[in-house]
Amino acid sequence: MAVPRRPQPSTFTLALLKPASSALPPLRAIQKVIKKDKLQEKEGASESSISEERLAQEAEEAKRKSEDEEAAAKERAAQRQLLAIEELVQSERNYLRLLQLTTFTTRSNLQQLQPPPANLDSMFLYIEEVIDVSSRLLSLLDQKQIQPGDPLFLETLCDSFLSLSSDIEAAYREYLANYSNITLVENSYKEKEALWNDIIKVIKTSVPDVNATSLTFFLVMPVQRIARYPLLLQTIQKHTDPTHPAYELLEKTAHTSVALNVHINEYKRFREVADKYKKTEPLSIKDKINRLNTHSIAKKTARLSQQIKHETGITPKLVDEEFDALEGLFNVLERGILDLLENVETYLHHLQTFLACKTEEFDFDMDGEKAPICYKEIATALRQWILPTFEKRMQTLIHKPLCALRDLLVGPRNLIRKRLHKLLDYEMIEAKSNLSYEEQDVANTYRTINTLLLNELPQFNGLALQMMWSMLGTFNCLHRDLATDMEQLFQSFAQQLPHSSLDHNAFWVWAESEVLEGARRLETLCQSVEETLNAPVVQPLSPSSQCRLKQLTDKHGSGKIYQVAGPVVGTRDLDLNLAKGELVAVISEIDTRGDKKRWLVDAGGRRGYAPSSKLMRYHQPTEGPPPSPHLTLPEGVTGFRRHSYTPETRPLTHPFFQVLAAYDFTGRGKHEVSVRAGEPIRVLEPHDKRGNPEWSLVEVRGGKKGYVPSNYLTVMPMGMAPPSSPYR
Amino acid sequence: MSWIPFKIGQPKKQIVSKTVERDFEREYDKLQKLEDQTKKLHKDMKKSTEADLAMSKAAVKISADLLSNPLCEQDQAFLESMAALDTAMRRMDAFNQEKVNQIQKTVIDPLKKYSGVFPSLNMAVKRREQALQDYKRLQSKVEKYEEKEKTGPIMVKLHQAREELRPVREDFEAKNKQLLDEMPKFYHSRIDYFHPSFEALIRAQLHVAVQLPAAAQKGTKAAFVVSLRLRCHESCPAAVSGTHRLACPPVQMLMN
Repeated sequence: MAVPRRPQPSTFTLALLKPASSALPPLRAIQKVIKKDKLQEKEGASESSISEERLAQEAEEAKRKSEDEEAAAKERAAQRQLLAIEELVQSERNYLRLLQLTTFTTRSNLQQLQPPPANLDSMFLYIEEVIDVSSRLLSLLDQKQIQPGDPLFLETLCDSFLSLSSDIEAAYREYLANYSNITLVENSYKEKEALWNDIIKVIKTSVPDVNATSLTFFLVMPVQRIARYPLLLQTIQKHTDPTHPAYELLEKTAHTSVALNVHINEYKRFREVADKYKKTEPLSIKDKINRLNTHSIAKKTARLSQQIKHETGITPKLVDEEFDALEGLFNVLERGILDLLENVETYLHHLQTFLACKTEEFDFDMDGEKAPICYKEIATALRQWILPTFEKRMQTLIHKPLCALRDLLVGPRNLIRKRLHKLLDYEMIEAKSNLSYEEQDVANTYRTINTLLLNELPQFNGLALQMMWSMLGTFNCLHRDLATDMEQLFQSFAQQLPHSSLDHNAFWVWAESEVLEGARRLETLCQSVEETLNAPVVQPLSPSSQCRLKQLTDKHGSGKIYQVAGPVVGTRDLDLNLAKGELVAVISEIDTRGDKKRWLVDAGGRRGYAPSSKLMRYHQPTEGPPPSPHLTLPEGVTGFRRHSYTPETRPLTHPFFQVLAAYDFTGRGKHEVSVRAGEPIRVLEPHDKRGNPEWSLVEVRGGKKGYVPSNYLTVMPMGMAPPSSPYR
Repeated sequence: MSWIPFKIGQPKKQIVSKTVERDFEREYDKLQKLEDQTKKLHKDMKKSTEADLAMSKAAVKISADLLSNPLCEQDQAFLESMAALDTAMRRMDAFNQEKVNQIQKTVIDPLKKYSGVFPSLNMAVKRREQALQDYKRLQSKVEKYEEKEKTGPIMVKLHQAREELRPVREDFEAKNKQLLDEMPKFYHSRIDYFHPSFEALIRAQLHVAVQLPAAAQKGTKAAFVVSLRLRCHESCPAAVSGTHRLACPPVQMLMN
């Protein structure tokens, strides 16, 4: 060890002990030295005596001695300073060593415990930064390769400390803010005895030279260290001569270290306040009611009254424009983020719907055709990989970050709200000059939150805004990539299609005309199918059925004739049993109770009820004939008329029209002739002998002449086929 | 063998030959499958075009909502870039709308019309089936009379039954023939009918796919400019500094 180059009054050397964790032994040695020194000086002084010569000599000696004393004092100071510097450096080294041991050895050993202790990593959360900054400090010192005795060493020390001060602050402040978590976790370990014993064993084996009884023994070291820097630096300063070249720097360093501590404490306080108010606990109404007590009710009513006073203008509102601007921006951001998230979720929902309906999975048995195959391939490519990739990218790059951002908004929102509450509280006591302890606390809380928000909110706003914009940029990039992919896909197929040569508009004209053509063809097909296949078969009636038909038609009119579609079994009284194909006439379409599905029918004598679902209107080959005029004319008159008729044939057939019989008519007497529906007829006279136009004299094929009711005849333009009759 | 009460053992005279019946069945099955597939494709197409349109509308809403947000009033750069993004989205939406309209006309409507033919075809097949049943019934009646002794009344009844049978048989045969003709033709017509639809489907999407990249590119440029400007923005010095952790502690405090 180099010794300061000064004339040494004493011959002994400083017994410098080996570096140890405690600084006491060297100090004691120095003290001993100093005592010895003084003793020797005193001895020297008492030996000198009374004579004048001696006085001058004494004075000289005294002067020399005082010089010597000064020198000695200076040297002692220098030595102390050196020791102090040494202490700082050595303790730093030791501290670093222990920290590293803890972090690497102890931690890995603890992790190997079965089962590993819970939350182990949270105890070592910020320690790495602390180790980092500490080792950087030491390496800066070692780089210069100067010995601590050299005055330059002090300068280097101060410089390195100052240069690293911001980093030191950052690293330690996180660590300190997190320290309460560490103690919490360790307490949870202590609760489990077996685990705790294991942990202690591990600690003892990992770091044997230190008698530690808990993890916090090591983990508390950074907390102690940062508070120690000011002490160490001040000790050095105390022992440093103000004329020392590095004195100012040292002073500055000492101040910096004190300032560091102040900042770190303030930060810790901020964090505590923030943690307290940031979280919203989901409280049920019951919990909320339980929480009410006189104190909280008093608090809340006081706040409410203050707010009302503001709104009504009784008390002036403390307007903090800066804060209001920040809050305004925050609100706007919040709104924007929530809207964006909602819209993005809608977008993704629709995308997923699109992916779900797989239009490529159809099978028209058209596998020989190019167009459907191309389409299938395109659609498959889209749905199997292009769009799923797009969806996944959207999820990870946009949706997830947005969700995280939205969750982050909760904290500031709560703090802003709490600040308002505290502001109201604060305003009420602001005017008072003598604040009680609780009131001071309230005031402090308000100020803390306010400062916190004023500091942090701008940065938060800025970062959130940036995130939003970058997400929008990503959105657009994703779309662009998707579009490029799709373009490639389609281009590869476009050449294969037959009409690819047509330009855009021409193609659509062609496509639409084709579609119309196809529709038209479909319609004709439909119609032809309907016509030919849906004509119902008309069965010829058995004679008994014909009788029945006539009877019913006579009685009720042909409009009411129905045919039974299936066998009817009557269940209630007055119900009829009918066979399939029977002809009945409907008398009433409703029964006595109002049931419209039960019709009163006449089945040739029998009357009763039948279900309307089994009755089908009976269409005679043509529409039911109108009532025959037979009923209205008395027999004799008819007979008289019929005996005279002129054989004259009137060419009543219009050259362009053909008269046909519209309905079957069976002649009942000799003067009437039977005609069948659709039969072409020649009308001889459009009235009978008496001039009654209801009867016409006609001639049928085969030459038969006779009377036929006029309204049974119809006129059709020539050339049209008569209504088809399935027989004869 | 009239003393045998059961008729199961007796071979039924086949009115309609097995081959014909099998052909008919086969054709009809093909048509039924085609009907199912047409309906499915129609439904899927409809849903997918609706989802497509909804997607582009949602994209427009994203940009529109942000444009109306007061954030844009504060900074001119933001306003410009937001407006550019909005224009890009709206243009994409317009293309999409056009595409959907074209698909509606050339694919979805024809599909619907095609499905509309099937009910009448099914009805026709049902009628044919009914006619077949009637035919079989009357045929067995005639055969029953034919097997009986040839007495007077029996002969009359036989004659009547034959009279009844004739129109029914003719009707059935007409229906059968028509269907056997029409069904394969209709089945085959699907190729020509749907060919333009598929081409249109591909062409419509191709047209949009070509236009989209240009539209999207403009939006990207705008957003890129914004993020560049943000880097220089004074309000977030944290963004400039390198280390993520160190930049975020203030924000972390609020966020944690």
